[in-house]
Formats: sequence, C-alpha cells, structure tokens
Amino acid sequence: MKIFRSHILVCGGTGCHSSGSAEVIKAFAFEVEKRELKDEVQIVETGCNGFCALGPIVVVYPEGIIYMQVAPEDAAEIIEEHILKGRPVERLLYREPVTEEVIPYMNDIPFFGLQELRVLHNRGLIDAERIDEYIARDGYQGAAKALLEMTPEGIIEEVKKSGLRGRGGGGFPTGMKWQFASQSMGEVKYVLCNADEGDPGAFMDRSVLEADPHAVLEGMLIAAKAIGAHQGYIYCRAEYPLAVHRLNIAINQAREYGLLGDDIFGSGFSFDLEVYQGAGAFVCGEETALMASIEGRRGMPRPRPPFPAHQGLWRRPTVLNNVESYANIPQIIVQGGDWYASIGTETSKGTKVFALTGDVNNIGLVEVPMGTTIGTIIFDIGGGIPKGKRFKAAQLGGPSGGCIPVQHLNTPTDYEAITQIGAIMGSGGLIVMDEDTCMVDVARFFMDFCQDESCGKCVPCRVGTKKMLDILTDICEGRGKEGDIELLEEMAAVIKDSALCGLGQTAPNPVLSTIRYFRDEYEAHIRDKRCPASVCSALFTSPCQNTCPVEMDVPAYIALIRANRLDDAYKVLLKTNPFPSICGRVCDHQCQGKCRRGQLDEPIAIKHLKRYITDNASRPTVESIPVTRRERIAVVGGGPAGLTAARDLARRGYSVTVFEELPHLGGMLRYGIPEYRLPRAVLEREIDDIRALGVQFRTNTRVGKDIPFKDIRKEYAALYLAVGAHQSQRLRIDGEDLKGVYGGVEFLRQINLGNGAEVGKRVAVVGGGNSAIDAARSALRKGAQEVVLLYRRTRQDMPAQSDEVAAAEHEGVTIHFLVAPLEVIGVKGRVVGVRCQRMRLGAFDASGRRRPEPIEGSEFVLDVDMVIAAIGQVPDVSFLPKDIPVTKWNTIEVKGNGNGRTQTPAEGIFAGGDAVTGPATVIWAIAAGKEAADEIDAAIRQRNDEPPFQRPEEERIDIPQVIDEEVQEQPQARMLELEGSERVGSFAEVELGYTEEEALRESLRCLRCDMEL
Amino acid sequence: MSNTVTVTIDGREVKAHKGETILELATRLGIHIPTLCYHPRLPLAGACRVCVVEVERARALVASCVFPIEQEGMVIKTNTERVLAARRMAVELLLASGDHNCLLCESNGHCELQDLVYELKIERPRFPAESPGHSIDDSNPMIFRDLNKCILCGRCVRACNEVQVNQVIDFGYRGGRTKIVTAEDRSYAESTCVFCGECVQVCPVGALVENKARFAGRPWAIKKVPTTCTYCGTGCTIDLNIVDGTVVKITGNEDGVTNQGSLCVKGRFGYEFIHHPDRLATPLIKENGQFREATWDEALDLTAEKLGQIKADHGPDTIGGLSSARCTNEENYLMQKFMRAVIGTNNVDHCARL
Ligand code: SF4
Ligand code: SF4
Ligand code: SF4
Ligand code: FES
Repeated sequence: MKIFRSHILVCGGTGCHSSGSAEVIKAFAFEVEKRELKDEVQIVETGCNGFCALGPIVVVYPEGIIYMQVAPEDAAEIIEEHILKGRPVERLLYREPVTEEVIPYMNDIPFFGLQELRVLHNRGLIDAERIDEYIARDGYQGAAKALLEMTPEGIIEEVKKSGLRGRGGGGFPTGMKWQFASQSMGEVKYVLCNADEGDPGAFMDRSVLEADPHAVLEGMLIAAKAIGAHQGYIYCRAEYPLAVHRLNIAINQAREYGLLGDDIFGSGFSFDLEVYQGAGAFVCGEETALMASIEGRRGMPRPRPPFPAHQGLWRRPTVLNNVESYANIPQIIVQGGDWYASIGTETSKGTKVFALTGDVNNIGLVEVPMGTTIGTIIFDIGGGIPKGKRFKAAQLGGPSGGCIPVQHLNTPTDYEAITQIGAIMGSGGLIVMDEDTCMVDVARFFMDFCQDESCGKCVPCRVGTKKMLDILTDICEGRGKEGDIELLEEMAAVIKDSALCGLGQTAPNPVLSTIRYFRDEYEAHIRDKRCPASVCSALFTSPCQNTCPVEMDVPAYIALIRANRLDDAYKVLLKTNPFPSICGRVCDHQCQGKCRRGQLDEPIAIKHLKRYITDNASRPTVESIPVTRRERIAVVGGGPAGLTAARDLARRGYSVTVFEELPHLGGMLRYGIPEYRLPRAVLEREIDDIRALGVQFRTNTRVGKDIPFKDIRKEYAALYLAVGAHQSQRLRIDGEDLKGVYGGVEFLRQINLGNGAEVGKRVAVVGGGNSAIDAARSALRKGAQEVVLLYRRTRQDMPAQSDEVAAAEHEGVTIHFLVAPLEVIGVKGRVVGVRCQRMRLGAFDASGRRRPEPIEGSEFVLDVDMVIAAIGQVPDVSFLPKDIPVTKWNTIEVKGNGNGRTQTPAEGIFAGGDAVTGPATVIWAIAAGKEAADEIDAAIRQRNDEPPFQRPEEERIDIPQVIDEEVQEQPQARMLELEGSERVGSFAEVELGYTEEEALRESLRCLRCDMEL
Repeated sequence: MSNTVTVTIDGREVKAHKGETILELATRLGIHIPTLCYHPRLPLAGACRVCVVEVERARALVASCVFPIEQEGMVIKTNTERVLAARRMAVELLLASGDHNCLLCESNGHCELQDLVYELKIERPRFPAESPGHSIDDSNPMIFRDLNKCILCGRCVRACNEVQVNQVIDFGYRGGRTKIVTAEDRSYAESTCVFCGECVQVCPVGALVENKARFAGRPWAIKKVPTTCTYCGTGCTIDLNIVDGTVVKITGNEDGVTNQGSLCVKGRFGYEFIHHPDRLATPLIKENGQFREATWDEALDLTAEKLGQIKADHGPDTIGGLSSARCTNEENYLMQKFMRAVIGTNNVDHCARL
C-alpha cells in the first residue's frame, strides 16, 4: 500500500453532503493537483463523522486536527497553511460554544472525547465504498471466526454473554431472539435487517449504513450462521438513497470477495442478501408489517403470536434486528461477549448510538457507554442549549417515547431507568427542547405523526389517536375544556392496553409523559387559554405580550413610536402598568427572550423603547378618584406589589391606605435597586401619580409594632400583605457575625437610606443573582478598591441578568466562578479574609444546573475586609398573627391555583409579591398587585352579593397597521452608557436612553407579530 | 405431547385444545365475548379489539379471536373492568368515526355495531362524531357502498381476497384517512368487481348493502325462507328475504352445506324475475298464431302427443333434448333418462357445454 504524508478526510455523510462537502472535496483535489502534492496527500471521502451541525467537516491526519464548516474556498488555505507550513487554520477550528475556547484536536472536543465508538468505530475513517478499507480495520474477521471456528450454539452463547439488547427500541435480548429462531424447525429461515428508521429526528441507522455498510452485512452473516439461514433482506427506506446505494455497492463487493454467496470462506456455509426498499411508512418498522411489506402485501401488522422466530417472513422462522444491533455483532464475536459487557449498566450493556437533535449546540450522532446520563449527552457532548436558553426537556424514543424533564437529567441511559421515568430508549433519537417549546404542542405534534402513520387496522390506534389529536388540537387552539386532561389519560391507558401493535400501544406515550411532567402547562392552556411558551399562536397575539406578566401591548406601543405618537404610546403603557418608566429601566424583560425577531438576528430592545416613551412623551395628568365605596382597604408594604394593588383598588372607588415601615415608599425599587439603575426622581414621579389618585400613605409605620395588627384588621374590610423579602439569607458559615459582614439587601438598604454605609477596601460579594451584582457595583461606587464576586457555579448558571454581569465586569468587578466561602476569618472581631474552596460540577440538580461539589484540598484564603452575603432573600414575617400561616420557606401561604391566588387562609387577608413567591422581579410584583386588586374587589363584591366589576370603557387608541414587506438583518440599536471612568464614585444613571433616531430605528425592527395578515 | 392444556377462564378451570383461540374456547363453554371484525368463515384479523380479554402476565390485553392457547396454566379473564373499558372505548370510537345516524341507515336493526353499543351500555357519545366525507358509491344496481358507515373491520377485504379470491378491494391510505378501496380508488362499477356480493354478505354494518333492497323492508319485517338457488347445479342455499309475500332480496345462507353463505352474482342479485310481470305463470299453447293460456295437463298432453307423433312418423333420432344448467343434477339425470329410455335417442345435451 502506498504511504502518504497526510490524509485529508472529508465527511461525505448526508448532513455534510447537503452542506456542500462534494464541492469541498473537489476544491481539495484541485489544490492538491495544482501544488503537485498527489503523492504526499490523500483525500478521502468518509461516512458521517457525527458532527453534522457544523459540517462540512474536514479532519487532517496524522495530527487529528478537525475543521468545521469548511467551504470550497478554504481548501487552498488549509493546504497552504496547514499541510505545507504546519500551521492549523485557526478560524476554522472548533470553538466551545460557552467558553469560546478554541480546540484544534478532534479528541479534545468533548463531543468526541466523551464518546466510546464501537458501532461507529469506523466512522470518519474509512471510505464506505471500498471493502478493502473495512477489511483493513479488521472487517470480516468476526464472520471468519463465526463461520470457520464456531458452532451456532457458540455464536448464540457469545451474543447472550454480551448482553446486547435490540437497539431498534424493544430492547429484547438479541441472543435469546437468535436462540428461538435457531431452535425453530425448518429448512428455510431468514435473517432480516430493519433499516426502516422513521422517527422524526432519528438518523442513526442511516449514518451507520452510509459510513460502514459492511459492518451490518457482517453482522447479518454471523446471525445467519447462528440460526441456519441462507437468505437475508435489508429493509431500507427508499428515502435513504445514499444508504441504499452504498449497501448495494457493499453487497456486490462482498459477493466478489466471496463473503456472500456460496461456500463462504470455504466453510460450506452459504448466505446471500438483498436490499428491499420500503416506501417509508413508519409502521413498516414494526416487524410483522415489515415482513408483510417484503412479501409484497400492504405493510400492516398482524397479531403475535406466532412470533417471527417461529413464523416470520413467508411463515418461516425469521430473525429481525435493526442496523445498530447487527453492527455490534462482528466486534462481539472478535473480542468476545465479556469484552462487550464490560461497559454499561447492570441490565444494559455496551454502547448506544444517539441522534442528538433539536435545541442543542452540537447536533449529531453520538455513541456513549450505556449508563451515560442524559445530562452528559446533552450538556457535555451536546454542548448545551444554544443562545443561552434554558433546557426544558428532551424527547427520547421519538413518537413512541416520552420526554425527560430537567429534574431527570441524571437518568442513566439504561433501558429500565429510562422506562421508569416514562420515556423509552427507542432507537435513540434524542430531541432536545429549550424553554421556547410548548409541551402540549409537542404532544400534539407526535400524536399527529402517529395518527398519520397509523396503518388503520385497529380501532384504538386508527380512531383513538385521531380523537386524541382532536382533543390536543382543541387545547392548543383555545377550545380545551375541563376534563380534557383526564379524558386524554383515560384514552391513553386504553390505547396502550388494547392497540394491536407497538405503534398504537406506544403512541400515547408522549401525551402521558408531557402530562406527567407538564400538567400545569396543559392547565394553563385549558383554564387560562394561555400558552406559557408562546407557541400556540391561537392563544395570543404576540409572543412578547404573551410573555409579559402584565401583558403589556408591546407591538402597539412600538408601532406608535414608529408613528411618532409618543403620547398615545404612553397611554398604552399605562393601561396595564402603573410603573412604565421604572420598568423601562429595570424590568428583566422576559418578553425579549420570546421576541420572534430574536430568531432572525436579535430581539427588539423592548425595555429601552419603553423607557424612550416615558422619557419623551408628555405625562398625562392624574386626577384624584372619588371614593365611591364604603369598604376601606389596607395595604401593608409600599413596594411595587402594594402600590399597584393600591392604585387599582383606588381606581375602583375604594379608600386605600398603604402602611410602610421605612421612611419612603418604593420598597425594593428604592431600597434594593441602586440609583445608577433607577434614578430616584423617576421613581418619585410614578409614586406621586398614585398619591394623586387619593391613596393614603403612612410611612415609618410598622404594622405589628407601631400599630397593632388587630386594629387594622378591625378597621379595614380587607388587608393586602405585600411586605416583600427584605432579609438576606445567611451564609451559614463560621465568622458570619464578625464586623464587616453584611447581608446584600441590608447593605443596599443602608446605602439607599443615605446612612453613609461603610465600605471596605477589598470587598467580597457572595452570590450570583441581581442583588449580588447590585451590591458589588454599589460597593465599587462607594469607594471599594477591589470587589470580587464569589459564585459557586459557572457563568451560564448565574441567575443575574447577563447584561448586568457584563456591566459589573466592565466596571472592574472580578468574578470567581466555582468558588464557595467556607469561613469568614476575623481578627479582633473584624473581617480580614474569607477562606474559600474551589468547586467542580457534579450531577444535575432539579433546576437543570450541575450541582457544585467541593474539590478536596483546594482551599485558599482571600484577603478582604468586607464580606457581603447576597445569596438570597427571605420575607420578614415576624409581625404576622398566628392564624396567617407561613410556608417552610418563611413566605406567606396563599390558597393558590383556582381558589384565589392571593387569598390567604385567613378571611379578608390577601398577600402577594416577594412575600409570597420569595424574591422575584419588579414586573412579577406588579402583576401580583393587579391580581390582588382583582381578587380583593371580587371577594368584597361577592360578600355583598354585588355583580362583578365591569371595567369602564377604555379610550380607544388606534394602532397603525404598518408592516415591512422585507426584513433586513440588523442588530439591536445599542444603548449609550456612561463611560467607565464617569461611573466611579457616582450613582448617576448608567444607561443614557435612546435618541429619537435610535428609537425610531429600533421600532422599525419590530415584526408586528400582533397583526393578522 | 398432549394436545390439551388446562387453563383457567373466568375462574373456571377447563381443558383447552392446544392451539385453539381463546374465543373458540369461550364459545364452546358458553362464555360470551363480543366480536366485530371476527367472522367464522374468514381468516383472522384481530383488528377491532372488541374481543379483548385479560391474560395474566401478558403486557397488554389480547384479542381473544386470534390469541392461541398454548401455555399450560394460562389464566384468562373475559369481563374485568379493564376489559370492559377497552371494549367500550373501541365501540365509542367507532361510533364517532363515521356517520352513524341509525335512523337514516338501511342496516338499522341488523347491525353489529348497533348491537354492541347496546350490549356495552353506551348511553351517550363522548366523542364528537365526524363523517369521513367519502362520496357514496351508487355506481351499480347491485352493491350500494357508503363508506362513511364503514368501520374498517376488513371483513369484506378478507372475503373478497381470501374466500372469493377476486382481489378487488383492499385497505388504502393511512391513519384517519384509511379506507377500503378498489384499485386506484374507483367505484365498484369501474373496478374488476364481479358483484358476487360476498363483501355485502359479511359487512357487519350499513356500509355495504344490496342496492335494490334499499327501502324495501326493515330487517324485522323480513321473513327469511331458506331454499336452493335455481341458477345452477351447485345448489347453493339461499335465503329469500320476504316482505309481505314479496322477495325483496336474497342472502347467502351461512349454514348452507355447499356454499356456506357465498353466492355468485346471479344467485344473489338475479331475483327480479320472481315477481316480473312478464314471467310465465301458466303454460301457453299457440293456436292460429296466437298464444292462449292452458293448464299443465293440457300442455303436457299436447307435448307428449306431438313427440309421440314425430317419433312414429320420423323415428326417434329426429328428436333432440337440451337441458338447462339451472336444473339440478337429478333433473338432468331424468332428462337423459327420458331421452334414452322414453324417446329412444342419444340426442341429448346440456347448455353448460355450449
Ligand atoms: S351502520 Fe349500524 S351503527 Fe351505523 S348507522 Fe347503520 S345501523 Fe347505525
Ligand atoms: S362483490 Fe365479490 S368481487 Fe366484488 S368486491 Fe365484493 S367480494 Fe369482491
Ligand atoms: S365495508 Fe363493511 S365489511 Fe368492509 S371493512 Fe367496511 S364495515 Fe367492514
Ligand atoms: S373480533 Fe377479535 S379483534 Fe375484532
């Protein structure tokens, strides 16, 4: 054989093929020719390399350097730089999506490194169309051993020992299946290969057939010897032309080499194979339907028994396995069953190939030892979820499988473990779904697939899936009714129990598992006609409005900016939100996460545009509202929840009094959020508007101390407890009570009270949320020379908003990730340092993030003179009388869903905001206040036997219906910010607001999802 | 190897023949299991799932009509809550899968789906019914096909393909669109159908009905009179379906020894002659170029006289006899006997040879 200096392996799998690998090969050939390197460099087209998402893939050996997304134009550079000068072309190398680290060597990329290639051991290494290359990598050795040295019993024994279970989905032990068929009487037997992969998102079989067809042929040959068959068929879907093509080439080459046909290896054993092309009906993956199809009949399953091992194809004993199962066989024979069983779990041995698709960074084919957790596959090999979105669930087993939610990421890939959590291993299609996925819609999608593919023979499947689909469609389109979930469950149970074949029996699985894990999402669709993921478009007008907790009409006010009608835009804002100028600055803008424009380039800067309106429109004057009702209402807590409730109740004619312990109103808006994010004048303005309505404020009044609880209870018809969560959680480490240790909220409160908080020179802030960031940035402004932030997880796990984190770093805050404090060290009662420990990431916790685990011996001491603990907040509920229960998290208990979400078990007492939910966001507090006002009013009216409140007719604001025909890619308009140097020591607002031109430009980007075309 | 196994069915310990189905065993024991796609004359399908029963240790329910008894000690339960839930759901689904307005259906009162709805005590539909919207096949006078009432039991397919082996119809399309189709989904008239009506005979509902018998009489008004088909010597047993003394349709008699319910197009659909106004009810004698009605004695006497005359004048070989395929064997035997022994000639033949 000729020796080459370098091999350039270009992936020719279907994925890379469609991204243009054929052109890349041509370009390389041209360059090699041009530089007269033909004797030194060989170009090889390989089967699928697995990393399909970043194709075309090129690997250069002997170095093993891998290039991604190679275009024909890149060939010259790779030859010139890499092959000739030995300098890998960096811009084409792999970049870790989260850390952005560049990784040149294929095996250093976690995608490849964590895999164990057995079935795929030839992938990307051989030319699938040349049998010699397969043989050179020990191909057909297993067959030779089986045919020349082993008895059928011996082969079956070895396969049994390997513990191999059917990889097509059933997981039936392969050795046993062979044994049944081998013991069946009959001269004529058949070996069949199921290559009718039809699950949406699955392409394992295709890749194996394309990359390594001989492995399947060899596996079948060994099976034939084991059961005594002389004819085999590979049932391959006609939609896989490349696989069929390569199979036919492989069969012909094997025949030429005497590896198929009569008297193979001179053993006297004969076996031949044919490819049968199926028409791509999903049901033909079912064994009896597959055989009916080969027999030339309609692919319809028949009841079993008789089982194929006794009466299969043409009523003869038959063994049917799938592609992956066969591809495992040659190595089991060569290396032995024990070798194969040496990896895996108790009941699931060897490796499993998964087709990783969906919302995951590294789409492709992966092969891992059985037992590898789902989380490892998705996050380590798959590289996590793109665009910083959150993982929601993964569908395993296609339309017959179930979803695996975040709390089960540690589930090992083991047949039994997977079944237990309601999914199935299936053939290995693993579809990752991010937070933008609606699980009801997912269930509907798979049900639609199954009902469409039902062969139509049996009633539960043909009609049952149709009726289930109808119900799911109704739910998705807002016609769901109470009882639908239960009916779906009942139907699912019956269909599973009584359908004829596997297709029908498993069709309800996606519905059952989505109900099991996401019942609340079904309920939201049915009861509130809301699709929380903003997918079911019949249930909302625009995804931004749907996502906003107070349903602000985003497209409307953006359209009004575009029309330069800012006063009207302001009115639109005030319809649903009493604090638009505050929200325009500090809202966590979940709406932007769902903005459809984000799929194209970047989401609309909704928050900035809101601020632009409030900065530039003329403010409508607020008139006081006459008290028309005799019931008086007390609100305890002057934060956003309490103020919103007070405003809404006042507008309904109630006399409302707000009690606030601190000297000023605003709650966290004033005492938590620093001024550089929310100037006080802005806050005052919006609070003044509420005062102007006629709401009474009693500040410096702590209920339970300055005024007894029972007094207000007597005096007021209803009480709304919105006291927030103003106590920092303790670190629970030694030294926490030393001087110089502060809680995050307490620290911020001191600053905002204007009490001149004392700030150290070197400050350590512990925590990863927004208040940790606020504390760190405030400490810097207050004169700290150095601020380090300690966070025990990684950057992508931080609950803080990423732009806030970036701003903090920009201002000079240093963040130590994977570090946790162990002890605050003090000298003479004062902080002098923190002893810390480094962490590593362990298993996934219920939030879908990896749990940090301490690294032994990694302790170190940071010299600091101040420690701020900002790891969370809890409400102070010490003022509450006994009959108002609190939860184990020290939050106030409400009855919850369906029975009034703000009603406490005590009559006439309502609660909401952070005091109920634990620390949340401003906008959720506003939403809570609105809800409370509704429920308090409704309860009072109900008590009085009055009709429910009728919303007064609102001023109609005409929204321009203008839409741009063509959308051009254009990023968000950037927000101008204060220079870093200007921020030091100053609490001046950092974000400077859009100019008219910027706002207009940004408003033009809106896709107007609210418009019906 | 013994050919029986002991099994428990509904708490009774009984001997079963190895290989017989659960349904066969139950029927033998007088245990009623409802069925729908099952038909004793047809190959098994196991499609409707109405006959499901519980078998201990089986992963799911099994269809009793196809499940063979092989295992010693098998424990079968035919009417648990779980079984009834599945049966009821299957029937509810079928009811909702088509256009089952029994008031407008020819099969009302003679419909296995209707019977099951009643037997399983289904009080009101839980699923909105949806007609599949197939067009009605009224392409021929024999078979009227309204697939909106078809429950896709597949009996007609098995009857056509495996009993008559005409291979005219099969399942077509998939999923909710599944439909019994002829080649290229055409009407019966445009297909290779020979109109034996086997499919109509086995259809459990109102999807396939005898076209000419529509609106001719409700099932409960029909009196069935078994007799032998007059068309040929096969001797199929037929049931004359009679309303008020009029034959309104003919169905195959499932107990008929020769035909077990099967018929050909003539036997099943060629009955209009019975009440045809042109049908001869008395013999006619032609006198002076005009027919006149006569009595049988008169007619037979005249024929005997004329045959005797010809034989006397011209010899027996001037007479020939031709008998009809619609006659029975016995009649044909008598015919040749008559020609040979009474007339004295071998000139006798039979129309089936033409
Ligand atoms: S086929 Fe049966 S159930 Fe359907 S309408 Fe006719 S009588 Fe009623
Ligand atoms: S009438 Fe006879 S030939 Fe025609 S479809 Fe029915 S069974 Fe087949
Ligand atoms: S036409 Fe009648 S026999 Fe044929 S499948 Fe439909 S219901 Fe069954
Ligand atoms: S009668 Fe048994 S499945 Fe239909």
